[in-house]
Amino acid sequence: MARYQGWFAFVLALAIAAGMFLLRTPLELGLDLRGGSQLTVQVQPAGDITRVGSEEMEAVKAVLERRVNGLGVAESTLQTVGDTQLVLQLPGEQDPTRAARVLGSTAMLEFRAQKPGAEGDLRSLRQLRSQVRAILRLREDQARSGDPDNNDGIDFDQLAEAQKLFGLDGESTSETDQLQQLLEKVNGEIVQQFEPAALTGKDLVTAGRQPLQNNPNSWEVTLSFNSDGAEAFAELTKSIAGTDRLLGIVLDGQAISEASVGPQFQAAGISGGSASISGNFTAEEARELEVQLRGGSLPLPVEIIEVRTIGPTLGAENIRRSLVAALSGLAFVAVFMVVAYRLPGAVAVVALSLYALFNLAMYALIPVTLTLPGIAGFILSIGMAVDANVLIFERIKDELRRGNTLIRSIDTGFSEAFSSIVDGHLTTLISCAALFFLGTGLVKGFAATLGIGVLLSLFTALTCTRTLLRFLMGYSGLRSPNNFLPNSQLPTPSA
Amino acid sequence: MVDASSPATADVRQLRWSLSSMRQRVWLISAAVVVVSLIGLVSSWLDPTIRAPLRPGLDFTGGTQIQLERQCDPACADLKAIAVSNVIRELALPKEGNAPLPQLNAPRVQLLDAGQSLLLRLPTLSAAQGQAVIQAVEPVAGPFKDGGQSVDTIGPSLGRQLLQSSLVSLLVAFAGIAVYISFRYDRRYAFLALVALAHDVVIVCGIFAWLGLFFQLEVDSLFAVALLTIAGYSVNDTVVVFDRIRERTQQGSDLPLKLQVDQAVSATLTRTLYTSGTTLMPLLALVFFGGSTLYWFAIALALGVVVGSWSSIALAPSLLTLWQPQGD
Repeated sequence: MARYQGWFAFVLALAIAAGMFLLRTPLELGLDLRGGSQLTVQVQPAGDITRVGSEEMEAVKAVLERRVNGLGVAESTLQTVGDTQLVLQLPGEQDPTRAARVLGSTAMLEFRAQKPGAEGDLRSLRQLRSQVRAILRLREDQARSGDPDNNDGIDFDQLAEAQKLFGLDGESTSETDQLQQLLEKVNGEIVQQFEPAALTGKDLVTAGRQPLQNNPNSWEVTLSFNSDGAEAFAELTKSIAGTDRLLGIVLDGQAISEASVGPQFQAAGISGGSASISGNFTAEEARELEVQLRGGSLPLPVEIIEVRTIGPTLGAENIRRSLVAALSGLAFVAVFMVVAYRLPGAVAVVALSLYALFNLAMYALIPVTLTLPGIAGFILSIGMAVDANVLIFERIKDELRRGNTLIRSIDTGFSEAFSSIVDGHLTTLISCAALFFLGTGLVKGFAATLGIGVLLSLFTALTCTRTLLRFLMGYSGLRSPNNFLPNSQLPTPSA
Repeated sequence: MVDASSPATADVRQLRWSLSSMRQRVWLISAAVVVVSLIGLVSSWLDPTIRAPLRPGLDFTGGTQIQLERQCDPACADLKAIAVSNVIRELALPKEGNAPLPQLNAPRVQLLDAGQSLLLRLPTLSAAQGQAVIQAVEPVAGPFKDGGQSVDTIGPSLGRQLLQSSLVSLLVAFAGIAVYISFRYDRRYAFLALVALAHDVVIVCGIFAWLGLFFQLEVDSLFAVALLTIAGYSVNDTVVVFDRIRERTQQGSDLPLKLQVDQAVSATLTRTLYTSGTTLMPLLALVFFGGSTLYWFAIALALGVVVGSWSSIALAPSLLTLWQPQGD
């Protein structure tokens, strides 16, 4: 008997510890329960790299991490998933547009010198570009102020001609989209007028931004280089200073601005290692470019393959509903167990409550991020935990019907049920393992809670239920077979 | 009390159902349901709009799903789904990099919960394009509840990966279970447990195939999770019955196998029914109170529990009696 009292104290202590732990450590809730955005990024092989290895993943992750920090969303996390994917979680973020833009581009910054003799082409291309930009800006202003479209000073013939030249005719998109496409083509064509890159964003130390002095609505991005970069920049500017050739600034294959270098730099180039880009940026665009440049360019291109956003009220609703489901399910099961099994049924209800408590404490301890499928896994594991108790109690009833004594029936019941409980739990655990190691996202969350549940159920059924039952059997008032079975089903002692 | 555990009185209660005497009826029922399920799966495959055994949802095909909760205080403004789809069709999306613009000419618009929430299914959109759609719909269907929206975008490549990983984990789980049972019991039991398992999975899939054909119900990654859970549960159920049969045969009883199987099934009948019942209770609670996200997931699991109990009480043990020569 002392052995069972020892166990009883142990179970009690464990329950108190689990309760205390839960009070101190709140459960981690997934985004589907508290609202926020989640983006999955696929890293793609490019150039010489045909397979994305762990080293490349580390490099990409480091860059993205710096960019994410630049976004300034509290508690954001970036995790590697599988071999080639990264998952970014932004709790509370309702509009992932900005995050998607900042993450998605390579941000490869290049400084190039103009090819000699390209002045003519370049001049007309730049003129076309400024015209397209002006119309886009005009339309934006008109959309904001609600003025009707005003076409003053727009040379539509020239635009149409340019579109035809770049093979852009016949697409049934809006005017803004057509202009954007044209702008991209023009910017790509401008890059063709320049030499290969003499200096890249690799040598960048930091980036900043400030509004232009003469036009506070337009922003520039400031750059400072390390010593290698400063040297290369001085060299580059020296080579074109005082000539008609321009310095081209290219971002991800698109020309963003060009500048001429005055003759006073002919001797030593622009030294000091700092420069600025004024590419007609709005405050927001300048901020995004700054964040990207600070993070450095991505060694490999990435594609955003999944975006999930859920509002906080929907998340709260999900919590409420699954709580109601879990509690009402538990209540039904509790009533059923007491009706079907009497005293041991009541013991099972206590053991199951302990089971639920241990489960939650495990989620906080490991920690498991609780998601909606995770809660479903938890609810289902309750069913499995009940099963273990049912198996044991049925065996105890069988033994009692055969006329065995109460204590002996209890012991035999537990030992006879042991093998089927273990087999049943282990087969479920095998599917959980398959789901956990091979599944993704939601599936993993479900497998984790179900797996933890199955393991704990082995523990609670084989120790908690047994300990409580044996402990109660210490009281002679409870030691009646009638507490286990109706008298009518017991064999008559005279047999 | 007397010690009455001698073999003669080992079974105080008589057989509660004599399985082997009606095993043909059991096989007929199972076979009929499996055939109907297979017909469902095949017709779904032949259906030109589906072209798969089950109608694949957003998780597997890729695309964007937007759910918006409308402000309904005191009552929702009247809204027709067609009005929303007209707005979406007219919408000019912002361009995203060099990717071609998604075609919005066939949006699928659904009103849920008596018009309180709006569900849009669209081709794969970028984050900015998704926001553009919400802004365009707001004047017609709004105002929307603050924080009551969800946008899910899944790229087509991710959908394929998901399908692949679901299938692989299903097969690995099957193989793992088979190995475990052949190790603990023998290959005969493992084979029959897998037959019972395949029976359960095919029937649940079949029901969802028919639902897909008639009610356009789509299966998502949660359905794959449900199938895997059913697999684990079904084997769990069957193993308990097999455990009893093995226990009896190991006791060296000279009763014919048929009778031993019948006795084992009777002895575990209460347990199987109680366990299914207690597992169904939380699942039904999920169906009724769990909300739309987990609704079909819980239904799939509940169906699996019911079919799984049938296969472990009736199908698997009755097939086991086939191994014994008839005249024994």
